[in-house]
Amino acid sequence: MKDMRSLFVRAIAVPLAMAAVFAISGCNLAAKPTPAVAVSGSAQVRIGSTTTFIASVTNLPTTSVTWQVNGVTGGNSSVGTISSGGVYTPPASLPSPDTVTVTAISVSSPTTTGSAQVIVWNPVPSISAATATLTAGTTYALEVDGTNFASGATIQSGTTSLSTTYVSSTELQATITLPSGTTSLSVSVLNPDPGSVASTSASATIYLASVTAASRLLDQATFGPTLSDISTVQNEGIDSYITQQFNTPYTPLANIPATLPAVCLSANTAYVCEESEWWQTVLTGNDQLRQRVAFALSELFVISSDTDDGRTIVFYHNTLAQDAFTNFYTVMHDVSVSPGMGAYLNMLNSAKAPTGQIANENYARELMQLFTIGLYELNQDGSLQLDSNNNTIPTYTQAQVQAFAKAYTGWTYATSTGGVPTRYPNSTPNYTSPMVAVESEHDTTAKTLLNGTTLPAGQTAEEDLTGALTNIFNNTNVGPFVCKQLIQHLVTSTPTPAYVARISAVFANNGNGVRGDMQAVIRAILEDTEARAGDTNPAFDGGHLREPMLWMTNYLRAVGFTNTDANGSYYSLSNYSNNLSERPYRSGSVFNFFPPSYVIPQTTLNAPEFDLENTASAILRLSLADSLVNNKITSFNINLSSTSTLGQIAASSPSQLVDTLGVMFMHGQMPTAMRTEIINTITGLTNAAQRVRVAVYLVITSSQYKVIH
Amino acid sequence: MNSKRRSFIKYASLAAAGNFIGLRPFGALNALAQSPTNYKALVCIFLFGGNDANNMLIPFDTAGYNNYSSIRGPLALAQNTLLPLTPTPNFALNPNLPDLQTLFNNKNAAFVANVGNLVQPLNRAEYLAGQNAPTNLFSHPDQQLEWQNAAQSAVTPTGWAGRIADVLGSSYNTNATIPMITSVAGDTLFCNGNATSPVSVSPGNLGAANCSEGTECTARQAAAQAMLTFNSGISLVQADDNITTNAYSYAKTLSDAVQSISPLTTVFPSNNSLASQLKQIAQIIQVRAALGVQRQIFFASLGNFDTHADQLPLQSALLAQVSPAIAAFYNATVELGVQNDVTSFTMSDFARTFQPNSNNGSDHAWGSHHMVFGGAVNGGQIYGTFPTLSLGGPDDSGSNGRWIPSTATSQYAATLAQWFGVSSGNLPTVLPNIGNFTVNNLGFV
Repeated sequence: MKDMRSLFVRAIAVPLAMAAVFAISGCNLAAKPTPAVAVSGSAQVRIGSTTTFIASVTNLPTTSVTWQVNGVTGGNSSVGTISSGGVYTPPASLPSPDTVTVTAISVSSPTTTGSAQVIVWNPVPSISAATATLTAGTTYALEVDGTNFASGATIQSGTTSLSTTYVSSTELQATITLPSGTTSLSVSVLNPDPGSVASTSASATIYLASVTAASRLLDQATFGPTLSDISTVQNEGIDSYITQQFNTPYTPLANIPATLPAVCLSANTAYVCEESEWWQTVLTGNDQLRQRVAFALSELFVISSDTDDGRTIVFYHNTLAQDAFTNFYTVMHDVSVSPGMGAYLNMLNSAKAPTGQIANENYARELMQLFTIGLYELNQDGSLQLDSNNNTIPTYTQAQVQAFAKAYTGWTYATSTGGVPTRYPNSTPNYTSPMVAVESEHDTTAKTLLNGTTLPAGQTAEEDLTGALTNIFNNTNVGPFVCKQLIQHLVTSTPTPAYVARISAVFANNGNGVRGDMQAVIRAILEDTEARAGDTNPAFDGGHLREPMLWMTNYLRAVGFTNTDANGSYYSLSNYSNNLSERPYRSGSVFNFFPPSYVIPQTTLNAPEFDLENTASAILRLSLADSLVNNKITSFNINLSSTSTLGQIAASSPSQLVDTLGVMFMHGQMPTAMRTEIINTITGLTNAAQRVRVAVYLVITSSQYKVIH
Repeated sequence: MNSKRRSFIKYASLAAAGNFIGLRPFGALNALAQSPTNYKALVCIFLFGGNDANNMLIPFDTAGYNNYSSIRGPLALAQNTLLPLTPTPNFALNPNLPDLQTLFNNKNAAFVANVGNLVQPLNRAEYLAGQNAPTNLFSHPDQQLEWQNAAQSAVTPTGWAGRIADVLGSSYNTNATIPMITSVAGDTLFCNGNATSPVSVSPGNLGAANCSEGTECTARQAAAQAMLTFNSGISLVQADDNITTNAYSYAKTLSDAVQSISPLTTVFPSNNSLASQLKQIAQIIQVRAALGVQRQIFFASLGNFDTHADQLPLQSALLAQVSPAIAAFYNATVELGVQNDVTSFTMSDFARTFQPNSNNGSDHAWGSHHMVFGGAVNGGQIYGTFPTLSLGGPDDSGSNGRWIPSTATSQYAATLAQWFGVSSGNLPTVLPNIGNFTVNNLGFV
C-alpha cells in the first residue's frame, strides 16, 4: 500500500509542475498540446473469450494507464474484469445492461481518461449429454446437459425451436413429440441475443422409460432392479422389455439325482438342492419376468417341502416357469397332474372310495377355494356379489366338493418311463413326470359340477379331469379371483376395483377371443395406468410390502454378490429368510406364507404380505439387514468396502452416495427428508465403508423401501 | 353298535350352576384387582389344519370302542394302545398323549367335547333346514378365524382375546409396559382388539436387533427411528412405520426385563416348535412384575393337522410334540408358582370327518374336542356333550360324521373369559353371540 501511494503522489506531482512551467514561460497556449487518452478495441466480446483494449495516451509524460470497467477499477465478476494490460474478460453471464464501459485513466493525469463501450455477447453453448425420455404416448421429456447455456436459450430440433425450460447454465429441459419408432434425435442449443449463437449439434439418447419408470417396472416384474437392467428398460421401453422377457428361454432348475450330490448334503435332503437352485435361478437367471410370475403362481398354487420331496418341487417349479406365459388353463391342468401337487393335496393315490369311505376332498376343495374361484361369487372388479338380502353368495356346495373329489380319483405316480403302472397305488415315486390315471381306480359315476354341468357316467379319469377343470376355468370368478392376486403379488396390495376389472376383462378375452391368455394378462397388469401412476407421481398411494425373500433378492441383485460356497450352493440364504418365516416352497400350509385376504389390524388395508410383518419380525428383519450390509452372509461375498464402487463414491461425497442409493433402491424417488437424514448421519463417519454400510442399512430398513410403491 | 348319546352328568349340573357362577365372583374381583399378587394368564394353543379330535378322545367301553372302530376302519386306533383316563373310564386318550393323560388323571386337565363355531344352538334338523349357521363351514381360513373372532363370519376384524384386552386393560394392566396380549406365533386375528394390538415375540429372539457398527450403532438406530416419523402419505409405508415403531419399543422393554433373570430349571423338549413357544411364554410370565402386567393372554400354535392322507403317522407325530410341550409348560408354571394362575386351552379349525376317506385320511368337519389345563381347571372331567358317533346320526351335519357342535366356541371362550376377569356386563362386548346360548359358563375353570 505504501509503495502505491507514493507512486500515485509522484504521478500527480509531475503534470502540476509542468503546467506551472508552461504558465511562467508565457508560451503560446493555443499551441500547447492537449493531454488525452483514447481507448480502442472491439465493439463486442463473447462470454468465454477475451478482448484487448488499447489506450493511446498523448501529450502526457507517461503512457501508463489504469483500467476500469463501469467505473470499477479492474472490474469485477458482475461486469467483467480487465487486466493492467487492457485484456477484458467478460463475466460468466450477461451483465445488465449488456453493454459495459471500459475506461483507461492516465497514470500521469488521472483526470485524463478515455473510454470505449463493448457489448457482451452470450457464450457459445456446448452440449455434453442429451436424453429424450418417453413419458406418454409419443411425448418425450428432453433433457440437455452441457455448459454455457444462457438464460433464454432454446433447444433446437432441426430448425424447430422448442419451448424450453431453463434449469441452469448446465441444464435445459423441453418436451418433444416424436413419431413412434424414432431411434435418433439431433439437438442443438441456441443461445439468444446478444450474440445469438448455437452449439454444435449432438445426438440425444432416446430412452423409452425414465429411471423411475424403469426401476419401478423392474421392482414389479423381476427379483430386483439392477443398474444394468434399469438401463436396458430405459433403452427398450417397458412394452418391448416385457416382450423380450416373454421370449427369453426359461432357466430350468436342475433335476436332483436320486443319489444326492454334495451340494445337498448339508441337511441330507433333496430340498436343500431345490432351494439352492431356486435362489440361484431367481438371482441370476435372465428370465426374470418368467421367474417372478412363476413365484407369484407358486404363492397361489402352493405346495411345500414340508411334505413334498425336493425333487418333485424342482419339477413343479419348472412346470410353473414353463407355463407362466401360456394359458391359465394349462397352468391349472399341469398343476393338477403334477406329482408335487398330487402328493401335497392328495390327488395322488386318491382312489374311488370303497364302501364306508369317501373320496379325498382335499384337492377338490382347495383347487376351487384357494386357486381359482374362491368362496364367494364375485363381480368382475373383484367385489362381492350380494343376493337380494345383501348376503354373499357361495360359489359351491359341499356336495359339489364331493363331486369334484370323485372326478379326480384314480391318479398315481407314473412309472419310471412315464407310463401307467400295473399296480395301484404305485409306491415308487416318479417325481419328474406327470401323474397317470389307473382307470380301475377311477370313480366313473356321474358328477354334477358348477352351474349344474354334469360329467356323464363312464368317462375316463382324463376325461373327467378335463371336464372338471374346464368347468372351473370357465367360471366367471376365475378372472377377478386370480387377477386380483396376481396384481397384489406384482404391483399393489390395494388395486382399485376398476384396475381389477380391466385385467379381468383381458383374462376373459385377450382381444382375439382367447380366455386365460397369461401373456396378455401379465402385460395388462404391468402396463395398467394404475401400475404406472407412480412413475410420475411419487405420492400415488399403493404398492406392497417386500416379502422377506423378495427383500433379500432385491438387495443382493442391487449391490451384487459373489457366491463363495465350495459347492456353489445358494442354500444358506434359506437359513436367513427362514427367520422371517419364508423360504422357497416351504409354506407352513397351503394358505401360503401370507393369506391374500389379510387386512392390517385396525385398518381396512388388505395387504397380504403384512401378515408376516409384526413387532417380532420387524426386529428380525433389522438384524438380517445388519448381516446383509456387514458381509455376514454365509457362502456369499457382498462387497461394500471402501474400494467398492459405492465405497469410492462415499469417500468423496456422502450426498452422491445417497443419491446413487436412491436410484439403486428407491426408483430415484427418495424423499427429501429421508435423504437429508441419511446424509447427515453418514457425513460424520470417516470410514468410507462404514458410510456405505450405514447408508445402505438405513435405506433397506426404511418403511419407504420395504413398501415397494 | 352303540350309538347312544353320551351325556355327562357333570355337564348338566355345572352348566346349570354356571349361570350363577358366571355372575357370582365379580363382586370380589375389584378387590382382587388391587392385589399386586393378582396375576392371571390365558394361553391359547391353536392346532392349525384341523386336529382330528375323533382320534384324540376315544370311547373306551366295549360298545363305544367297537362302534368307533367299525366306522373309522383304517383310521381306528387299536384299543390296547389307548391311554385310559381314570376319572372317566369310558374314554381313553390317543397313545401319543401320555402327559395329557397324567394331567387329566391328576385333575389338572379337562376336555370339552364337541365344541365348535355356532351362531346359535343348532340341531341336525335345524341345520338341514338352513337355520343360522356360521359362514363357510369346512373352509380352513374361515373356521380358524371364526374360532378366533367368535363371530358368524371371518369378516369380523377383531379376536375375542383382543376384545378382552380392550375391556380389561384399564382395570388391570395400568402400569404395563407391553400390551396385554403376546403372540409367539405371528400375527393372528385372535389377538387384535378394536383399540389394542398385541406384541409379537419370536421365540428365543426377545431382544433388540443386532448391530455391527460399534460406537455408531446409536446414531444408526436414531436415524432409523427418526425416519419412521416422516409422514410419507403412502398408506402402507405408514402402516409399516407404526409396526416398526412399536417393535423398537417392545424389544427394549422385553430385553430390559429379562436381562438379569435366572433361567428356568424346567427342561423343555428340543426340536419341538410348540415347546419353544411355550418356553418363551414361561419366560415372559417369569418377568411379569417387571413388565407391570396383571393379566396376559398368549397365543401359540402348531400346524400341519390337515391330515387328508396317511393320517395315523402324521397325527401321531404331531400329538407326540404336543404332549411333552404342554407337560413342560405346566411344570414351568409350577416352578414359577403360577400354576393356579395360568390356564391353557386348545383351539383348532375343526375336527375331521369321522368317516375315513380312501387315502387313509379324513376331511374337514366341524365340532371337535378340546383340552384345557392348569391348576385352576376343574380337571379330570369331560365337559359338554359327546356326540353320537353315527354317520347320518343326530349329531351329523351330513352323512360323513361332521359333528354339529353341541357347545359353541363362544361358550368355551366365555368360560375362560370370566375366569380371567371379564364381568358379565362386558361378556356381550367380548362375545357378541353369547346371549344366544343359555349357558355362558361351562364351569371347567
